[in-house]
Amino acid sequence: MDLRPAGRDELTGMLRAATADRRMLDIRGGGLHSRRGWPFTPDDVLHTGALAGVVDYEPDDMTITVEGGVTVGEVLRLAGERGQGWPQAPSAPAATVGGVLAAAAGGRRRLRFGPIRDSLLEVVVATGDGRIVKGGGRTVKSVTGYDLPRLLTGSLGTLGVIVQATLRLWPLPMAEQWFSARGEPAGMLEMARGLLADLHRPTAVIVGPGSLHACITGVPDDVVAPAGMVESPEPSGPGPGGDGPAGAHGGVVEIGVPPATLPAVARRLADDGRAFEAWMGTGICRAAVSAPDDVRVMRELAMLHDGHAQVIDGDDALRSDPFGPVPAGADIMRRIRASFDPAGILCPGRFAAAEAVPA
Amino acid sequence: MTTTAGALADQLRHLLGPDRLLEGDLARNLYSHDGSIVGGDCGIVALPETTDEVAACMRMAHEAGVDVVPRGSGTGLTGGAVPLEGGLVISLARMREMGEVDVANSCMWVQPGVLNLDVSMAIAHLGLHYAPDPSSQQACSIGGNVGTNAGGPHCLAYGVTVQHVLGVEMVRPDGEVVILGGVAPDPPGYDLRGVVVGAEGTVGIVTRVLLRLTPLPPDVRTMLLDFLSVSDASAVVQAIIAAGVIPAALEMMDRNMTMAVEEFVHAGLPTDAAALLLVEVDGTAAEVGTATEVVERVARGHGVRTVRVAQDEEERALLWKARKTAFGAVARVKPSYYLHDCVVPRTRLVEVMEAIGEITEREGVMCLNVFHAGDGNLHPIIALDRSDPDETERAMRAGDQIVRACVAMGGTLSGEHGIGVEKRDYMPLVFDHDDLEAQACVRRAFDPDGRMNPDKVLPTGTRCGEVGLADTQVPEGTWI
Repeated sequence: MDLRPAGRDELTGMLRAATADRRMLDIRGGGLHSRRGWPFTPDDVLHTGALAGVVDYEPDDMTITVEGGVTVGEVLRLAGERGQGWPQAPSAPAATVGGVLAAAAGGRRRLRFGPIRDSLLEVVVATGDGRIVKGGGRTVKSVTGYDLPRLLTGSLGTLGVIVQATLRLWPLPMAEQWFSARGEPAGMLEMARGLLADLHRPTAVIVGPGSLHACITGVPDDVVAPAGMVESPEPSGPGPGGDGPAGAHGGVVEIGVPPATLPAVARRLADDGRAFEAWMGTGICRAAVSAPDDVRVMRELAMLHDGHAQVIDGDDALRSDPFGPVPAGADIMRRIRASFDPAGILCPGRFAAAEAVPA
Repeated sequence: MTTTAGALADQLRHLLGPDRLLEGDLARNLYSHDGSIVGGDCGIVALPETTDEVAACMRMAHEAGVDVVPRGSGTGLTGGAVPLEGGLVISLARMREMGEVDVANSCMWVQPGVLNLDVSMAIAHLGLHYAPDPSSQQACSIGGNVGTNAGGPHCLAYGVTVQHVLGVEMVRPDGEVVILGGVAPDPPGYDLRGVVVGAEGTVGIVTRVLLRLTPLPPDVRTMLLDFLSVSDASAVVQAIIAAGVIPAALEMMDRNMTMAVEEFVHAGLPTDAAALLLVEVDGTAAEVGTATEVVERVARGHGVRTVRVAQDEEERALLWKARKTAFGAVARVKPSYYLHDCVVPRTRLVEVMEAIGEITEREGVMCLNVFHAGDGNLHPIIALDRSDPDETERAMRAGDQIVRACVAMGGTLSGEHGIGVEKRDYMPLVFDHDDLEAQACVRRAFDPDGRMNPDKVLPTGTRCGEVGLADTQVPEGTWI
């Protein structure tokens, strides 16, 4: 059944009822991250799209408070009208704020602007048993209490439904441009190395199969084409939000490795003829996979470099082992989850520290 | 000392030797305080030097059921490192080793007792620095910075401690060692690293910290602007950022503070100004040039009297010395001080400064202001003589009203010092019952027995799952 709460009260009522009846819920915003975690069959799908209010936007404070179902595109539009932006956001206008935060799915400008969790100042969630809990604060700086915003970011819906978020905005840059080049992987990686060494705080340096993209942000004098590169649009690569449906490839794995080892990972992916996008300097790489064995290969590759690999999009067959080894501090994570979602009804397949694979 | 505590002391003495277990009155008195005016009651103090020793101490305390209070350099300003009811203080001050710099990944592991400034000094030759720079950076430790999620002037552009800690090695309350986070970004599962940073030692003891290192900017310019009114200076803060420039730092000092500092540092500060702004811009030469133009243009549009641009590194260092020794300079006015760390939305700066002026005038106490204006993080410093009970009482009352005024303007309790004991009972001003209960549950998930730095951060009586009657009384013997 599809649940579409129109407001907070209705939402918490639905959650209380689901907890009482032990009905498993999937939470859906824009739907970009719905093919994550172990496959599970929810009793109901809870859509957040009607929680779409802009609660407060104070341009002079550079903070905006929106409900979880507001889209990324709407935030960028509102902010843009006042010369501001949300540089940590993914290039996925239809994704919801709640969704991208729950998935910690930030955009390609991470190298300069940091992970998306750094942009979340205050969060309000509805817990599995229907309580409303607020954490953080709306000011741009706060160490008041335990950092629930960071805990919620990347929790994949397993702690609660993000009903409201206060985001830190930034001034739109005076100038910004993407550039690209094409060539053999070795040459592209060498150029990428040069950009990371020579540019002060590049915004993005992204290697794909036979391609290199770079984004430079700043004052007009600094935003010039690096040697051998030409102006081009932002790339469109593997992964939810980064391109169209990944279904054509079957699925996408996100690899996280120490940044210095990413060239080796990229070289291997290029040699294997995979579609991939390596965010140089950040240690993040998204690669297309088409069979369960590919997931295993990707994970071995990541772990060879002291990293990890998660399936961030894929059909059921690709998601038999979506997260890899049990994370450090799993018992702590289990206790936290049990306190936010005592009946375990929220997105059971998306809890990386689950003791057992959900049915 | 109870039998249990005595047995624990014997075990710890056996583990660490008599030199690294402090039991005498002098040491216990010293460790009953931190940089705040909170006083507590210290049991015994252990000085481990390795992760293994910390783990052993924690196992022993776990078995004995004794409370543990972790401590760094003791420069905290909210009583976070002050033991309230005996127990074991574990000082990390002797754990001062820095690991190899991982230049390729721009990071390094350090032990928690390493001092903040020593990190940047050790890596400057590589063109790197550690960005968070609390004013106490010559004395405060990385472990303490992690505990409070410390800030500093340059956090306006660079972000606070949690944005510069990639991972932590932590000894859990039962003695188990766990590594959370790491060089590889975004590991699966919850971001427990993000919770540990800023948890004020209530979830475990961090024994190694993986710091993210930041390239030194190619160019930097430091400017001192002076104004005849606080509201002009506040308007400039707002206007610089509205013009699209996020300075590396944007600090304000009021006249009382300027006078105290100038007497102390002799930096040539204009002591007749109502407010000074210290503005630093950095980046590429073109970025610095553009930002400098914007700052000067905005300032001139708002009645700036003079714009002093630091001509060389020496002058820049002098201006920063003036800013960073401000708290120390207060000692020239009164022997002690009581300060808050509230944050307000930047748009409320003028209003809150007026409110602070009214409150302190009404209570008849002297207030000096020096603060991170760019992010709205206030540090109203009330100078006082603690031997004067009446003045102390008035200072407390003024502080209380300042906190309430900030919260009423949409602000929050702390920007970078943490909650500790001192702000603990204000938590219900910004969080309701369910919010606090959820925080208590997060804490309990790490520390099921509730032995880690008890009675800090959350108001007494806040429980996970069963919130008792809020008993907001500070434990007996505590001097706030």
